[in-house]
Amino acid sequence: MMSEPGSMGPLPDDLPEPVVRSPINKISLVWIIPLLAAIIGGWLAYRSVTEKGPAITIAFESAEGLEAGQTKIKYKEVELGKVVKILLSSDRDHVLVKAELDKQAEGLLSEKTRFWVVRARVGATEVKGLSTLFSGVYIAMDPGPPGPPVDHFKGLNTPPIVTSGIPGRHFILVAERRSSLDIGSPVYYRQIKAGEVVAYDLAPDGQTIRFNIFVRAPYDQNVFENTQFWNVSGFDFSLSARGIQLKTETLSTLLMGGIAFSLPEDSPSGNRAEEETVFTLFENVEASRVKHYAFKTRWLIYFNGSVRGLAPGAPVEFRGIPIGEVVDIKLVFDEETVAFDIPVLIEVEPERVLSGQSLTGIEDLKPIMDQLVANGLRARLETGNLLTGQKLIEFDIHPDAPPDNIVWEDPYPRLPTLPGRVEAITSQIVGIINKLERLPIEQIAADLQATVQNTKKLSGSPALPRALDQLNDVLDNLQRFVDSLTSDVTPEILKTLQQVQNSLTSARSILDSDADLQFTIKTAMDEVTKSARSLRVLTEYLEHHPEAFIFGKGEK
Amino acid sequence: MNTLPVTAYHTSAISCLSCHLLCRRGKMVARMPGICPRCGARLHIRKKNSISRTWALILTAMMFYLPANILPITHLSQLGVVQSDTIISGVIYFFETGMWPIALIILIASIFIPLLKLIVLIYLLISVQRRSTWRPRERTRLYRITEVVGRWSMVDIYVVTILVALIKLGAVADIDAGPAALFFSAVVVITMLAAMSFDPRLIWDAQESHDE
Repeated sequence: MMSEPGSMGPLPDDLPEPVVRSPINKISLVWIIPLLAAIIGGWLAYRSVTEKGPAITIAFESAEGLEAGQTKIKYKEVELGKVVKILLSSDRDHVLVKAELDKQAEGLLSEKTRFWVVRARVGATEVKGLSTLFSGVYIAMDPGPPGPPVDHFKGLNTPPIVTSGIPGRHFILVAERRSSLDIGSPVYYRQIKAGEVVAYDLAPDGQTIRFNIFVRAPYDQNVFENTQFWNVSGFDFSLSARGIQLKTETLSTLLMGGIAFSLPEDSPSGNRAEEETVFTLFENVEASRVKHYAFKTRWLIYFNGSVRGLAPGAPVEFRGIPIGEVVDIKLVFDEETVAFDIPVLIEVEPERVLSGQSLTGIEDLKPIMDQLVANGLRARLETGNLLTGQKLIEFDIHPDAPPDNIVWEDPYPRLPTLPGRVEAITSQIVGIINKLERLPIEQIAADLQATVQNTKKLSGSPALPRALDQLNDVLDNLQRFVDSLTSDVTPEILKTLQQVQNSLTSARSILDSDADLQFTIKTAMDEVTKSARSLRVLTEYLEHHPEAFIFGKGEK
Repeated sequence: MNTLPVTAYHTSAISCLSCHLLCRRGKMVARMPGICPRCGARLHIRKKNSISRTWALILTAMMFYLPANILPITHLSQLGVVQSDTIISGVIYFFETGMWPIALIILIASIFIPLLKLIVLIYLLISVQRRSTWRPRERTRLYRITEVVGRWSMVDIYVVTILVALIKLGAVADIDAGPAALFFSAVVVITMLAAMSFDPRLIWDAQESHDE
């Protein structure tokens, strides 16, 4: 409602001035803006504080592929946090990765929580983590069982095979060698893949390898306290007294190795094995069966001949049934007798034969063994495989064997032996050949030849028929002579013989030992002997001292 | 200054800030603001609540300045690798890759200018409230520079918006604006508003009252 400026004329002098209030005294609505900003800022700050999860430190061997501010920490592919900082540890042995996790990760951290770096991995049987080729590596996390929270962790070098949450059980296998087993090697139950090797490590004593395997449910229900585990790695090529053996389980075990388990045959299942039960890992299925017999006895056997072809591990059989194996073979030189001995140490499992008896020591076997050896139990070296020449030790009862007994001595009793079947035959043949060799075959042949030639000469001469005629005449004369002898001479001879007998009877009476004549003759003969001796002494003396002939025997 | 300058305030007149028409103050009081009879702009003797408004806006800007620099301004996902950059990390990235002119521009436009604007405005406000008479000319020039240069802080926001619009290659490469973009543009706009709500004539009012 304003009028034109100046239309009202100049201002009257007595007009009051308006009261001017200082604008500073009034609180302006504009202050709502910073208030709002403060509320927004405060809310942001509150959220960042409350949503901030735990800060953790993970120690890794290397920080390959990890980047501060970039690398994420994931669980089940859900991002739970981020690497904030990567630094070297104070001992410069490993890297410390500091990470901040989300609030929701708080309850997941415990002592058993595992972290590992997910990278693209190409293994023998699988390809993993290809997506990380594009997205970069990330740190995966396995929370494990809940426990008190910790903030320092040791990162794994390789991803764990089994993450928590998969039902099943862990077991420990102890083996002497690693063979071709590796982390991830399968575990088979009746040729079904039932689990994996999770980890392996040298035992604290450094003598054995401890495999940690995981058997998934429901197969873990088939692991009993007496279950046996054996290695089915690669292919098993063995050349033994039993011949050539080539075995594989599956194609993948050729590359990866593997473990199989089952109950020993004909033995009842025991209790279900507890988590982390320790088992022995046998080298192969045969070994797992052999070692079933816990009680073993050791014996010594001495062989005289060569033991070529006999090696430690060679079977010891009784009538063809394995009862043990050769443990050691030595060559011992005995300085006293200057002879070589070959003691063969064998290990026999008596429980294979004497089942159902509780045996504790070798002494328990003493009466049985003594009786058996008395009955003819003998060891002998036999050829097991003619192709390879592998030998084995065979026990059998030989009732006609020369008597022998067990030498019960320390440390091992000594069992009697027989020469091996082949050995015996060979030695006999050698004896015959030696005798044959000693025959003067050439001489005999030469003589024989000369004889034959003479005969030939003789038979070919014209004098032979004449000689035969003369011989005939002579024989006729002889016949006549014999006839006359029988008729004329025989009675005379009989008479003479009667007289001879009489003379002999009288002669015996004279010559009898207690007869006078013989005694007299004996004394006379003794005298003659004495005189002869003194005569010899005299002549010898004279020979050395001819002067005695004149001067007589000296004083000396 | 020996002679007292003639100002609209002292002669019961009022000058329009838009068309600079000098008119009589007349019956105008604070509660009923007048309107310029020529251009229709609102007339103020001095800008209404200038100091408190400026203070409020400066405080707001300062509050937003923190998240604008702490939070990421861009999320770059390249073949699945997500890289989040704050303003500072972007500057460092450009410096490290040898593109230091770009780095310098962003550093000056996005970090120094908002900061300097805040500092300058705070200084001007304090000096006005303390009725300082020290170098009013230079302080007025400082104000003018602040007002002119403030809009250039938006360069960073423009770069981000252009990148977000241009790089949309799905899984291969993608850029998203981060929360800091919002805060940063808020800082720029609010500081501009603060600069506008400040009345440079207040600098000279102190001068006059001092001279009286």
